[in-house]
Amino acid sequence: MTLDYLWTGFSVALSWQNLLIGLVGCFLGTIIGALPAIGPINGIALLLPIAYTLGLPPESTMILLAAIYTGSEYGGRISSILLNVPGDAGAVMTALDGNPLARQGRAGEALMISGLSSFVGGIIGVVGLTLFAPFLASLAIGFGPAEYFVLMVFAFATLGSMVGSQPVKTLIGCVLGLMLATVGLDPTSGAYRFTFDSPELGDGIDFVVLVIGLFSISEAMLMLESHATGTSIVGKVGRTFVRWKDVVFTTGATLRGSIIGFVVGVLPGTGASVASAVSYTLEKRVSDRDGTFGKGDMRGLASPEAANNSCAAGAFVPMLTLGVPGSGTTAVMLGALMLYNIQPGPQLFAERPEIVGGLIASLYIGNVLLLLLNIPFVGIFSRLLLLPNWILVPGILVLSVVGVYSTHASVEAVLLMLGIGCMGWLLRKLGFDMAPIILGFVLGKVMEVNLRNALAISGGELSILFQSHISIILWVLAAFVAVGPWALQRWSRRRAARV
Amino acid sequence: MDAPQRPLAGSLSNRLAALALLVFSLIYGYAGSGIEYAFSSDPLGPRVFPVLLAAILALLSLIYLFVPGRSEAWPQGMVLMRCIALPALVLIAALLFEPIGFAGAMFVMTAGVGRIFGASWRASLIGGLVQAALWYLVFGYLLDVYLPVGELFAASRRG
Repeated sequence: MTLDYLWTGFSVALSWQNLLIGLVGCFLGTIIGALPAIGPINGIALLLPIAYTLGLPPESTMILLAAIYTGSEYGGRISSILLNVPGDAGAVMTALDGNPLARQGRAGEALMISGLSSFVGGIIGVVGLTLFAPFLASLAIGFGPAEYFVLMVFAFATLGSMVGSQPVKTLIGCVLGLMLATVGLDPTSGAYRFTFDSPELGDGIDFVVLVIGLFSISEAMLMLESHATGTSIVGKVGRTFVRWKDVVFTTGATLRGSIIGFVVGVLPGTGASVASAVSYTLEKRVSDRDGTFGKGDMRGLASPEAANNSCAAGAFVPMLTLGVPGSGTTAVMLGALMLYNIQPGPQLFAERPEIVGGLIASLYIGNVLLLLLNIPFVGIFSRLLLLPNWILVPGILVLSVVGVYSTHASVEAVLLMLGIGCMGWLLRKLGFDMAPIILGFVLGKVMEVNLRNALAISGGELSILFQSHISIILWVLAAFVAVGPWALQRWSRRRAARV
Repeated sequence: MDAPQRPLAGSLSNRLAALALLVFSLIYGYAGSGIEYAFSSDPLGPRVFPVLLAAILALLSLIYLFVPGRSEAWPQGMVLMRCIALPALVLIAALLFEPIGFAGAMFVMTAGVGRIFGASWRASLIGGLVQAALWYLVFGYLLDVYLPVGELFAASRRG
């Protein structure tokens, strides 16, 4: 196993231009994370078209987006602790113990400890990514079209069983995303599918239009409702310091959270929300002997914060090595790479080491920058919570309109974005998650192409999908994740009934 | 994004959505089975994958119909009016974008949206002016993104 790609990466990431881009990304990311109700996926969706229009090279765009992603995982803790309003789903668990701490007047300490555990989680995640990704890539070299197809089936199975509490809706979201991806020219046969003779739809539905519609317009509409129902009270930050005693007290929780976060991140499709929920639940089971969790226990704060940062790094593993995103946010980043006509996969390490290495190296640098930004300046970031929605939301909408208009120079694209946004709002009100739609969309073309290539190789024999050891293992895993949790639940219920 | 605190509604809207998805899957599947093509280098061709997706969606919507699950309460009264006003304002801004230019259209949108988010008339107008000017400077000059000046202004300049 060679780590040459990482040295190439550091030479890319340490160029002054990319360092500056990384710093800007970390700063913007912390702001996006700190603002209540918008999270990493919204931030990346908003800034992706702008990065693309500015003509940044792909490695710089990836460095910018990765910095925003990690930055907002850091920033998310600020609104969770001070406001009890998580900036994104990954920071929901942080509020459980973080906000009680703030109410006890220990907000400063809580922000410091969670900043530190974010850093430890982030670094453990990136080290895992550095070591594990080339290994997985070398395994994936042996993947043919049949194995890739089954891999995607596995990804959707994991998504259905782990994301959200309503698996049917998650799976419907995936299928809708796959359907949206079929619109446009079919390259193998030259047929136009579902274009209704419209030349604009010939190239398919544009990724930027879809992402901004789903994540920005619908988000603004949801914010309108929460605005009408609640008011927010910002807690005081108070003195910011770290007690050695607290660091020692939370070390175990931070390390456990980091490892869980990384593993959950590597699983396709499951993002920070699952990682922090799993780690919090486990930590509570392991450490909560006095019933202090939920009432302001530092360990209940450190564990999910370490997990969501570690998960962000872990989510890059399947995205970079297999082309299957590890979270909703990496799905958007995968779409960003596709805008540059780059299809991630095991060859990416050998063919484009500057992108993979630059991205991974920038995550090391980014975590250090974020620790420096988040420890002394946390008071300044917390002021952002006072920004009223009547300034914030119009700003988000301006960015959305400019983002879509600048990549297309057409008002029709803005109207399509608006239509998709309203549909997204309807679906979100009905309890659908948006991430599966994006995941289905970015995987759609690849999934179909691999299925068709596999069957072209076998002359139409479906048995090719079950031939190799890798495919069989993936089928078994897919069946296990799809049925496993349900069977386990039934079994434990029956056992409880017997006792 | 999970939002566990919001109130939950009954299952009627979920059942309607399930029916709509079922109808959509049938239309999509029918259209997919009729895709015309001259040749295909693979045995599957461009029709099979869409038809397969339609079948899966039909099956999932049937499950959804019988097990509708939870959803959030729909907005009512003033909140509903605001929920309609927001996309309407974006629509108006999009339609004004080329005739009156970026700054004007963004002023209408930011001031209007500011107002429905609870700002006073004065605050929303000033906020709209400041945001329109600020974003125009950021995108037009700092980042050099192409933005329309507005046909009306372009015409008056020519005149």
